[in-house]
Amino acid sequence: MKDSTGYKVFRVFNVVALLAIVFVTFYPFLNMVAQSFSSEGNISAGKVNLVPRGFNLETYRVVMGDSMFWTNYKNTIIYTVVGTAISMVFTTAFAYAISKRHLKGRNLFIGIAVFTMFFAGGIIPNYVLITTLGMKNTLWAIVLPNAISVFNLLIMKSFFENMPAELEEAAAIDGLNTYGILFRIVLPLSKAVLATMILFYAVMNWNAWFGAFLYLDKSELFPVTIYLRNLIAGASAAGGVGGVSENATQIASNIKSVTMVLSVLPILAVYPFVQKYFVSGVMLGAVKQ
Amino acid sequence: MRTNYLRIVAAAAAISVAGALTACSGTPAKKALGADVSVGAMKDFKADTTFKATEPVDFSILYSDMNTYPIKKDWLLWQKITELTNVTLDPTVVPFSDYAQKRSLLIGAGDAPLIIPKTYPGQESAYVSSGAILPVSDYVDLMPNYQKKIKDWGMEKEIDGLRQADGKYYVLPGLHQELWPDYTLVIRTDVFEKDGIKVPGTWDEFKTALEKLKTANPTSKYPFSDRFQGGATLTASSPSFDSAMGSGLFHIADGTRFDSKADKFVYAAATPQYKTMLTYFHSLVAGGLMDPESFTQPDAQAVQQFTTGQSFVISANSQNIVDYRKTMDSTLGAGKYAIKKITLPGGPAGNLIAGSRLENGVMINAQAAKNKNFVAMMQFVDWLYYSDAGQEFAKWGVQGTTYNKDASGVRKLVPSVNYNGLNPAGTKDLRVDFGFSGGVFAYGGTTDLLQSMMSSEEIEFQKAMKSKTPEALAPPAPLSDAVREQYTLLATPLQDSVDQATLQFILGQRDLSQFDAFVTELKGKGMTTYTDMKNKAYQDFKKK
Amino acid sequence: MADRRAAAGQLDNLVATSDEVARSAAWVSKWGKSSKQANGTGKGVKPARQTWSGALRKNWRLYSLLALPTLYFIVFRYLPMAGNVIAFRKFRPGGSIFGEYWVGFQYIDMFIHDPAFWNVFKNTITLGVLTLVFSFPMPIIFALLLNELRAKKFKKIVQSISYLPHFMSVVIVAGMIFQLTSLQGTVNQLIGHFGGGAISFMQQAAWFRPVYVSSDVWQTMGWGAILYLAALTTIDENLYEAARIDGANRRQQTWHITLPGIAPMIMTLLVLNIGSFMAVGFEKILLLYNPLTYPTADVISTYLYRVGIVSNNFSYATAIGLFESVIGLALVMSANAISRRLVGTSLW
Repeated sequence: MKDSTGYKVFRVFNVVALLAIVFVTFYPFLNMVAQSFSSEGNISAGKVNLVPRGFNLETYRVVMGDSMFWTNYKNTIIYTVVGTAISMVFTTAFAYAISKRHLKGRNLFIGIAVFTMFFAGGIIPNYVLITTLGMKNTLWAIVLPNAISVFNLLIMKSFFENMPAELEEAAAIDGLNTYGILFRIVLPLSKAVLATMILFYAVMNWNAWFGAFLYLDKSELFPVTIYLRNLIAGASAAGGVGGVSENATQIASNIKSVTMVLSVLPILAVYPFVQKYFVSGVMLGAVKQ
Repeated sequence: MRTNYLRIVAAAAAISVAGALTACSGTPAKKALGADVSVGAMKDFKADTTFKATEPVDFSILYSDMNTYPIKKDWLLWQKITELTNVTLDPTVVPFSDYAQKRSLLIGAGDAPLIIPKTYPGQESAYVSSGAILPVSDYVDLMPNYQKKIKDWGMEKEIDGLRQADGKYYVLPGLHQELWPDYTLVIRTDVFEKDGIKVPGTWDEFKTALEKLKTANPTSKYPFSDRFQGGATLTASSPSFDSAMGSGLFHIADGTRFDSKADKFVYAAATPQYKTMLTYFHSLVAGGLMDPESFTQPDAQAVQQFTTGQSFVISANSQNIVDYRKTMDSTLGAGKYAIKKITLPGGPAGNLIAGSRLENGVMINAQAAKNKNFVAMMQFVDWLYYSDAGQEFAKWGVQGTTYNKDASGVRKLVPSVNYNGLNPAGTKDLRVDFGFSGGVFAYGGTTDLLQSMMSSEEIEFQKAMKSKTPEALAPPAPLSDAVREQYTLLATPLQDSVDQATLQFILGQRDLSQFDAFVTELKGKGMTTYTDMKNKAYQDFKKK
Repeated sequence: MADRRAAAGQLDNLVATSDEVARSAAWVSKWGKSSKQANGTGKGVKPARQTWSGALRKNWRLYSLLALPTLYFIVFRYLPMAGNVIAFRKFRPGGSIFGEYWVGFQYIDMFIHDPAFWNVFKNTITLGVLTLVFSFPMPIIFALLLNELRAKKFKKIVQSISYLPHFMSVVIVAGMIFQLTSLQGTVNQLIGHFGGGAISFMQQAAWFRPVYVSSDVWQTMGWGAILYLAALTTIDENLYEAARIDGANRRQQTWHITLPGIAPMIMTLLVLNIGSFMAVGFEKILLLYNPLTYPTADVISTYLYRVGIVSNNFSYATAIGLFESVIGLALVMSANAISRRLVGTSLW
């Protein structure tokens, strides 16, 4: 059936609107990338637009030439991988269990989770807890305190609830127990939501700095976010008694954009692998029932 | 882990009583302190002797880590400290970006290190009532270098200003022999010359200068576009208007000002002098001389206008002007411009500047008083932060390795070591590779020491600023714990009103004839109660 | 019944082959029905009231899944909550973390009688509501627009670029905003073209809300759409095919298939966002505001920040925090109840 003219017009408008969105979101990003490769004079003069002017790698060199940067980067990767794994296990298990409406005490457990969305302890009680547990300056202080995001939990629960019960019941008849159903039926069918949750948790862990700031006091354990954040703060500090390094003005001019590029690169690299789970859709109809 | 407040008070009382009973012959009163806290201490530690613990000791210290010179375990700084003093420091590393918050957390949780540096006078007040911080004034007899400097430089009044309601003070401030003004205005001297404008000495002359700049340079929108959200200029200029001011980064502590004639504190923003100051700056904005966005724009925007030649005046400190030159070499071209710091213009009240000879210092964890190496620790802090030798060591490093001193006492870095452009050919950096001249240990000291690393231009500026008179210090008016809570809660809404009205008046959003209505508003927000509390505290303290 | 057997028949394939596409097709063929039905409560009778020991014996595996996460909640989320007691006790930094002695409602009274507090409370609510009204629908609309694209490659590219603003730190975003809105910035240049006078946006309280909300939409639209796109993939193409055959145009298809398809996701997110709407961006406001815009820009968190610098009063901050938490919880519970009644989906 052919499209109506109204729909054709809409499609044109759609493309235009989306192109506008691309422009509005891409231009500032490219501008930042360009600045990260530009010289300080050009940045200050406002001459940098989409292309780097006065190609300059000084800030990158300073940052990436620092072994502490790489140590911290390695830390971030470890924290992210371990943190995301733990989060996914906890969240999926809990979400699946509470998605079963027939489970006694279900509302109690949901309440336990939802309450924590609004009520939390302050930084001092949290700090004392972590210290008392002996977790200060360890990996666990980073990956455990925020292991479950109730936001993600509730979304996952929603997904599980909307799965047809017949599938699970049929599987039960075939002899699978709860674990079997979970691992062999439900999870494989939930790739879209699992991929999304992994992405969300990974990004959350990747950008996290507050926990590290609270519970770590050895610079070789810091994640790279603290490293970069400190660099930005140092660059914009109001000067003072001490002098600064030779290339301080160059660093100050584009450290923020360099930070942005270094932080977003890994996400950009990983994203295409996740994207296939939610941009396709046409594939699903390929196999008819 | 929890500090028992009462025990600390009891211990302090016992020590002061015992101290009073000891004959005061210049020897530290450590005799009154038990042997259980004097392990490792020197028996006759005097001013200008190098401290060396009688046995190896270690102390925890809070360390603010700057990315420009990240902390390294193998720094010569740490090794040399251990070699000279037998002390090993154990740093708790905190990124500079969030130092204050972490410090607050650690003290609040009772987990702070023994030595807590980088504490500005005033910041320690919050921790006084819990007893988490040592009332160091009780122990200064352990610190001969500190006492000597206070006496030699006549700083008793400034130290008094630090006292809390109980008469003690809780922070060991950094000491400067002389006032060290840092923030002022930087001008394009080449443009001034070209347009035949003389360097202004008063604020009226400054306004005239801006007017001439504007007429002579019609392409520039505003000859003066300020950074620091106008705060540095307002703060630095306010004493010359016989007022006190600040906004954002430059807030004057609690908004009150001491009126010596009336012998009481008044709320600075409610005075006629404040109105005069506002009127002046309003005239600058209304006349198109000062960029109205000075008060809200991010620094980068203001700096951009100056370094690209669109504006000709901007605020700066000693480091900023170096940065401007670097940028302007590429934006305008080296040799095609000239900039210079000018001394702050005088105002209706004369050539007055504000400032304190005290700067950020050290707090001591109250638990240290029970530590067996307590006396040794105080002696160590005294040597490192307050002795000439200790300060020189912290700033310059090791003679022969990082610097050399010639017969007349002039210090020069060893050729292979660079710092802040003093030895551009140097392959190593004094801070990055050796750990000296870092912000955690090197900041106070004699004028000679402070200026030893300054550029000649900066030294010239400092000399010129000597012609200004520092305004009189306010007397101490410490609040008791009960009053403090209410006082600090009133402070913010009052300050918010002031900040808002200040900008509205200057920018013309509100007419200056409304000033009295503004004062009435302040009264409605509790200004009278606020100043009354402060004046009562002042009177109470006077009686002590 | 027939469905069930079909599903059971598929099961051999499912277990044997791991062809998730086929499984998805089987699953989503259920899709047009209300979620309640799909959830299986419709099937079978609600079991008679179980005792705890009975339930534990029957569903022990399910409870085992709950064990570790529940322990996590107790240790890492509930234990520290005890510290909130300092809202009712006098806290001295460095003293006991649970405070020194009871002061009852002193701090609660303090903020209730503080006119400054109610101003910032009003601002918080206003900004929160505005953000919700504008930032919430945008990702949905964006996801739907993307869904209409036929060119797969273009769609992928647009989607990948659209989330980039999410990764720009608040510092960068604030800097951009200042640049755009400055007197010589792009926006004022445009106004100049059309003959208007320059507006100093960041210095006028009235302009703060539009600036804040539009920057929020810009930053969240692309990233927020991800969840909806994930939900869209679960809608069976066959439904569209069937609708097309029945003569429905695209708009009708969107209304009757697409929207109901992502309705559960929309409702879930709506309820969650309502609960957290008071958590307006602290750091962003801190960077963007100034005394001139306090009347609209100052929110609870920024006000507490300024108060905290001067007073370091943890108890006061905790009292206000509890107040905000109670409001948030009440809001979520109401939103959830309304959602359950109106649409049939709810968080619990």
